[in-house]
Amino acid sequence: MRERLGIKRRRYALAVDARKCINCKACVVACKAENDVPLGRFRNRINEESGGAFPRLRASFEPEQCHHCASPSCVRVCPTGASYQRSDGLVLVEGDDCIGCGYCIIACPYDARFFNEQTRIVEKCTMCAHRVDAGKPPACVETCPTRVRVFGDLADSGSEVRHLLDSRRSHVKQPETGNGPHIHYLD
Amino acid sequence: MSAPVSRRALLRGAAGAAAAVALAPHLGCARFLKRRGEVPVESREVPTACELCPNKCAVLAVVEGGRIRKLNPNPLSPKSRGMLCARGNAAVRSVYDPDRVKQPLIRAGARGEGKWRPVSWDEAFDFAAGKLKAIKGQHGPEAVLWSSTEGFQEEFFSNLGLAYGSPNLVRHPTLCLASVNLAYSMTFGTVPSFDLLNADYVIMSGANRFESIITPDTMDLVESTMNRKAKLVYLDPRFTVTASKADEWFPVRPGGDMAFILALLHVIIGEDRVDREFVAAHCHGFDELRAHVQQYTPKWAAAETEIPAADIVRIAREFADAAPRALYYAGRRSSWYVNDFQMRRAQAILNAVVGSWDREGGVVPNSKIGLGELLYMPWDEPTAPRIDELDARFPLAAKGDGVFLQARENVLAGTPYPVKGWMVYKQDPMNALPDRGRTQKMIEGMDFVGVIDTQMSDTAWFADVILPESTYLERLDPLHGLPGIWPVVVMRQQVIKPIHDTRANLEIVQGLAKRLGLGDYFDYTIEQWVAEQAKELPVDNPLAHLQKHGVFAAPGAPFYGTTRKPDHRFLTRSGKIELYSERLAEAGHDPLPTYVAPTPPPADSFRVLLGRKATHTHAGTTNNAWLHELTPTNDLWINPVPAAALGIAHGDVVEVASKVGKVRLPARVTEEIRPDCVFMLHGFGKKSRQLRLAYNNGASDADVLETAWDRVSGNAAFHETFVTVRKVGEAPHA
Repeated sequence: MRERLGIKRRRYALAVDARKCINCKACVVACKAENDVPLGRFRNRINEESGGAFPRLRASFEPEQCHHCASPSCVRVCPTGASYQRSDGLVLVEGDDCIGCGYCIIACPYDARFFNEQTRIVEKCTMCAHRVDAGKPPACVETCPTRVRVFGDLADSGSEVRHLLDSRRSHVKQPETGNGPHIHYLD
Repeated sequence: MSAPVSRRALLRGAAGAAAAVALAPHLGCARFLKRRGEVPVESREVPTACELCPNKCAVLAVVEGGRIRKLNPNPLSPKSRGMLCARGNAAVRSVYDPDRVKQPLIRAGARGEGKWRPVSWDEAFDFAAGKLKAIKGQHGPEAVLWSSTEGFQEEFFSNLGLAYGSPNLVRHPTLCLASVNLAYSMTFGTVPSFDLLNADYVIMSGANRFESIITPDTMDLVESTMNRKAKLVYLDPRFTVTASKADEWFPVRPGGDMAFILALLHVIIGEDRVDREFVAAHCHGFDELRAHVQQYTPKWAAAETEIPAADIVRIAREFADAAPRALYYAGRRSSWYVNDFQMRRAQAILNAVVGSWDREGGVVPNSKIGLGELLYMPWDEPTAPRIDELDARFPLAAKGDGVFLQARENVLAGTPYPVKGWMVYKQDPMNALPDRGRTQKMIEGMDFVGVIDTQMSDTAWFADVILPESTYLERLDPLHGLPGIWPVVVMRQQVIKPIHDTRANLEIVQGLAKRLGLGDYFDYTIEQWVAEQAKELPVDNPLAHLQKHGVFAAPGAPFYGTTRKPDHRFLTRSGKIELYSERLAEAGHDPLPTYVAPTPPPADSFRVLLGRKATHTHAGTTNNAWLHELTPTNDLWINPVPAAALGIAHGDVVEVASKVGKVRLPARVTEEIRPDCVFMLHGFGKKSRQLRLAYNNGASDADVLETAWDRVSGNAAFHETFVTVRKVGEAPHA
């Protein structure tokens, strides 16, 4: 319908300013609460990197979750179509269709998926699609004390995420996979 | 969307049929029954205020079918700025924690044995009141110590102690920020906030703001340093997250912070970079200060701090150039050394002479929103002298808060009189106080120990009766005004009814008061209390406003400069900012901050450092499953150089021993700490077996920390302990 009216398709994405990340894990717990993620499993994480020798040390933190790729390898390998992509770019798993084969877990270059032992289906970040559809930001975006993540529609020229990507340098992780990931890390 | 029969639907049907035939639960029949389009349960959103730490952030609790499903940040509070941290998000788990104390308990075995008799509230009240009456009859009301940590319902507990007749209320500040508060009060006559949002240059000692989250400071510091390129200079013997984000990090020699500050003053005053006009108009004792800091040259300070003299000179110049948008940040941080007050005073004085006081981006006196007060029947003030001999030993300290460690030592010594009962509210002295052995000894000497808490803390574990308080999401609390540059009033309203047989503190206090013959002093309800408080707010239907929004923020924007007018009188003796303090001199203390080098660790010993991580609050959250899985245990940070000399590899089990105790925990061999220090995270090594995730997990720093306190404020000094470290076991993988 939107296309027919000449409205561009939405393309949801995340811009991440990792310099502002203080590794407080608010996003990790918010995700857990919002999505009933079982203990010991996570839909998002903060990668830590540190090095150097005393007293010349460095440490950096980088939030990561499903990259909601443009050409998602997880969707390609799914034998049942449980993994699918919405027209707005969000990559989701239809639980009822998932047989738990785990191909997608292996196919994901970002280690974003896991098998939920309780529900017997594969889970991952949904970008809180249920919240987004209700006009609310994903839980990890909303709760962040330092506003590391900016969520929005790349097709909307007025969105903050579009503005950030247009005005600042950014990179994606492992572009060579051809997956076209949509977490854009600001440089 | 039209729905023709698709390949997906066919497969779904096939999988479902297979599951139904097999009736195999592991294939998930339950989810087969769960279809899209099922009727959602009743859902509502209740604004409230978080209690997982002292920040009181605004929360929107989502309740579905009577159960709290999620806590979201409430964007309306200018203090929490629309965020909720890991702990705030995890509060749901604390409510539904299977380890909670679910009804009143009376001890049935020996203290600490863990045998309890579940009882009714009536029986628990009768028992506790009977004990309290007996102690009063035998030793007088001063023989009961009432200790507590800040909280919205703390006032009721303190009032019960006072109405009972005991002068011995000891509160948390002398385990926390009493030295900071007193230093700023003695200098400016008030405790200010630090305008990190608008500052251009920030110097910070140890207040690890990116791991020890304080709202709005943590968020503001990220905003100013990352988005505006404000400069952050950070001193800490440990490479913290804050150190990693700072423009310059100096692994200062422990205790050298004051030498650094005095040398900054030396340069700034010596090079005449002070705000002369402001100093002349508002400061008292500048000439004395100028003469005093002449001795503190950067070269001298370089030896004390291990920060190069050239850097000290440069930082002093940069700081003065950036003023008034420059501040030496105090913030919340426990005290470290026996002269902690004087170190904080030096910071306050530095902030004063560069003219950052009450300026945008500087050090700003707090604004406050007034609340109404419910009038209740007053009691006779307790007449006995305090157990901690506050008036004689700490004449400048805050009267209502007491001095915790002095109180404990005097109780143990039985001077000036015996104390035989201990009531504890929302506090875990077994972990909060250094030298746990002595705290335990104090408990053993008591005829009665009663604990009001939401969980079986280590102190509760050794108590005689536990009166379980409802968690913050199950109570209506008094309103709370949060002073600040942008002040706010928050309301903590009940989100769900208590899920166990627990009560709010006021109800517990009333139950005890009734049986102690003090019921008339507590003859009101929490609803009446809140209604009276709300009346004063400058908004239509204030109570309804708070119930709907959870927050009332001061209208308009922050303002600056009211205390810089020529006729402004500061709440100090001279009416000015006291660089030199006659009151300190009269009390026998240095009227100007005078450096005394801390004792260096003896050979083969290390100084124990205290610190925080964003995933835990003190010792209160280590049993929360969601926080536990992020930070499941603690370990001993030790630099690779001494570790190699001691034959310690990463992961080896080490014994850490001080004069007062020893603990065992794994070693974390890391470059991120000075070679002369070790560090372990607080809150682990619990003794309470009813904290199943935290029990006997890691080590408690309270076991090894020695008793020491700041001379002026009485604030526990947590960095005065030296330990030896030796390997006692191999790393599990080795």
